[in-house]
Parts: sequence; structure tokens; C-alpha cells
Amino acid sequence: MTAIKLNNVSLVYRLFEKLTLSAPGRRRSALGGNIASSGTKQVVQALDDVSFELKAGDRLGLVGPNGSGKTTLLKVLYGIYQPSAGTISIAGKVDALFNISIGFRPEATGRRNIVLRGLISGWTAAEIEEKMEEIIDFSELGDFIDLPFKAYSQGMAARLAFAAATALEPEILLMDEWIGAGDASFQEKAKRRMDELAEKAGIIVLASHDDTLIQRVCTKRMVLKNGRVESLT
Amino acid sequence: MIAALSGAFDDISKAIRLHRVWIALAHEDIGDQHRRTTLGPLWMLVNYFAFVGTFVFVFVTKDAINPSYIAYVAIGMLVWFYLNETISVSVSLFQREASFIQGTTLPLFVYVMRLTMQCVIRAAYSMAGCVLILLLSGYGTNMNWLFSVPGLLLIILATPAFVVVFAFLGAFFPDSEFIVGNMMRVGMFFTPVFWVYSGQEGVQKYAYHWNPFTYFLESVREPITAGTFPMHALAVTGYFCLGLWALALLLLGLYRKRIVFLI
Repeated sequence: MTAIKLNNVSLVYRLFEKLTLSAPGRRRSALGGNIASSGTKQVVQALDDVSFELKAGDRLGLVGPNGSGKTTLLKVLYGIYQPSAGTISIAGKVDALFNISIGFRPEATGRRNIVLRGLISGWTAAEIEEKMEEIIDFSELGDFIDLPFKAYSQGMAARLAFAAATALEPEILLMDEWIGAGDASFQEKAKRRMDELAEKAGIIVLASHDDTLIQRVCTKRMVLKNGRVESLT
Repeated sequence: MIAALSGAFDDISKAIRLHRVWIALAHEDIGDQHRRTTLGPLWMLVNYFAFVGTFVFVFVTKDAINPSYIAYVAIGMLVWFYLNETISVSVSLFQREASFIQGTTLPLFVYVMRLTMQCVIRAAYSMAGCVLILLLSGYGTNMNWLFSVPGLLLIILATPAFVVVFAFLGAFFPDSEFIVGNMMRVGMFFTPVFWVYSGQEGVQKYAYHWNPFTYFLESVREPITAGTFPMHALAVTGYFCLGLWALALLLLGLYRKRIVFLI
């Protein structure tokens, strides 16, 4: 059963003072915001006591100002950051869309990039082969699929990235902001696919500054501020 | 310590299972570097020929007409270029891979193997050039060449460890990119790549005996130029590899999860 459960999750990381030959005064960032001093070390309190639970079919929208912890929370859910306190329990296959260009090579064709993106996501050769035409169809790239990725507009790149990331129907999909890219008709198509994913007992977590997008796509809304949950409705 | 080592082995085994990823990415890297050129990756062969040819002609001595000197320089250059490139580009590895490290859950060792693979592919082109030079210089093939295989394998085995150690160095100490680059440039002259050690005293003696790169070079070169099995060179290279791997495993185990906050 697809589910996400976070209990009192905090992420505090030390700002490593890199060994450098530069002057001592230029080695550290200024204190303020979520940056605090702990003894002689500087630490960032990126998440503070975050708890929530999502079950199959939930679509959570993360909102909050820059630096509030939205992207950090997505990366903790994906496993890029290990929390420094609290527990996380995730049941389900997770995929993420943080950055359109990750796994895409500017010089390679769209078709080759689908293969590379699939490999990076851990797909088998058979899965890549099986999903290839479906991804090309969904991305609406047509003959552009055999042109280098660098020739694509931002909207085309976003369409390809979204089509590839959702092709294997991840049970949990984490997305950061960029889904607003692409024209209105593609956004509508993307929303339909997200609806389908959620209906197939999936979970979607989407971080965005766009309240309209959150309202249109999500069923729950979490406001983060300085790494803390301000509200969950 | 045990937890760190177990973490390192876990990262390595996951990366090995993802071998299709780093092999594909390394091939793309090599392709991208030579895209739109007429010769493509054959430029690596041309570069190698140009360097070896220059050294052989510039250091023209009575030895230079001796095929064994040409073989000496050709093999020395092959191994030195490989080690030099591996170490120099490793220092900035994690910075170059920052978007992947901050955006995917791929094990850190995948990036190490991607670079290792790139270096091996590049060296394969140089090796083809090296064999050609040996044949053109009248240095006939013989069974002794097979004694170079253990040395080559040891060098390839040491490569991921070199990459890990220098990549962590570059992440923690950014200035090291330039320090290591300069040291490797100078290091070529302190390593018997093109000069022959024949018992001289002074700097050359220390540069020959106390330089680990000497043994990497000799473990491949000695069988071909001297026709002997390089027992001593292989033993020193083997111990060096063990130490390097121990350090690499420790670094990987202790710091792999912190790299994402460092780059």
C-alpha cells in the first residue's frame, strides 16, 4: 500500500568550512535566516520537526517562501538528504522531477535521452524499449525526437522530462515547481496524467509558488516556513 | 569504522549493479568531446602520436635511434598520461556532477566509475597508438609482452581508488584542483617517463626510487623493454594500491552522504 509517514523529521546540517587558502574572514557565510552558530560551527536548520502522513491517492502541494524548506523536504522524501532526527517511512516506488535537465544531454537526441533517463531511473532495457513510443507520443515532440536536446525549447524539454518521469507510473511522484512549463494544452494533459497516477493509488507531492497550480492539482496543501510546518489543510 | 566500510561497500555494490548507467554516460562523454570533429575519438590517437613523436625527436641522443628507447618513451607516456589525466580530472569530479548528486539518488561510486570508464576508453586509443609505435620502431612482439598484463590490470584496479581519494580532496579543499594540476605537470619530470635511470646519484635517484609512479610505469614497461617479469615493481604497486583502496573506502564510507552538502 503506497504511503508516506514522517514523524518529527528534522534536518540540520553543518556548513563545512572548506580548507582554503582564502582569508579567514571570507570563509564563512553570514549568520541569519536558518543559519545558526553551534559552538565554533555553523549549522543550517533546513527542516524542523516536520510530521505528516499521506496515503494512496493524496496529492500534497508544498507552498512557502524561498528558503522555507520545500525543495529540502522533497529531497528528504527522495532519499538525497538523510534526516538528522525523526523517522521516515515510505512504501512505494518513488520518482522525482527536480530539474528538467537532469539526465538529459544537450548533444544527444531526444530518443537517446529517453534511454539515458531510463537507465538513470533504474529501468531495464526492455522497459525502456516498451515505453519509448509512448513517451514520444505523450511529449508531442514528433520529428524533433531525433534532433539534439539542445534544439528544444524549454517547454519541449519539460514535456519530454515529464513524459519520461511518469511513463513507468511511479507510485510516488515528487515534483519541484517546473511543471508550470509548457503550453496550456500540455499542462492540461499533464494534469490528466497526474490524476491518473493518483487514481491508481499513487501519491504526488508538488512544491510550487503558484497557488493556482496547487489548487488545480492538489488535494492537500502544506505551508512551510523556516523549515517548520505552519499549516496542513 | 566497520559501519563506514559497510556503507562504502554498499555504495560500490549498488554502483556495480548500475553498470549500464556509467558505461552509457562514459561513452556519451567521449562522444560529446569529439562531436562534429572529422576524426572523432581518433584525435586521442593523434595527440598521443604527436607527444611521443615530439619527445623522441627532441630528446634525440644516440639512444633515440635505439628501438628500446622509443619503446621506453612510448610506454612511459602511455601510463603517465593515463595516471595524470585520471588524477587531474578527479579533483573536480563532485563539482562537475553536482546537479546529478543533488538531483538523483545514484550511488556516489557511479560517478567514480563513469570517470574511470572514460579514462580507460581514452587510454585504449593511446594504447593502440603505443602498439603501433612499438611495431613501427622495429620492436617485434614477443611473449614477454604478456608480463605487462598484471601491471596494466593493477593500474586499472587502482583507478577508482585514485578517483575517490582525489575527488574527496577536491570537495574538501577546492584549491587542490590547481595544486594537484601543477604538481602533476611538474611530476612528469620527476618520474622516469622519458629519462632513463642508470644508477645516477642526486635528485634522479630519489625521484626514481621514492616516486610511486615509477613502479606503475615499470610494472608495464619492464617486461617489454627489459624482457623480465617486474616482480619488484608489481609488489610495490600492489602495496600502494592496497593502501589507496583502504583510504578510498574510508573516505567513501565516512563522507559519501555529506558530499551533497559540500558541493
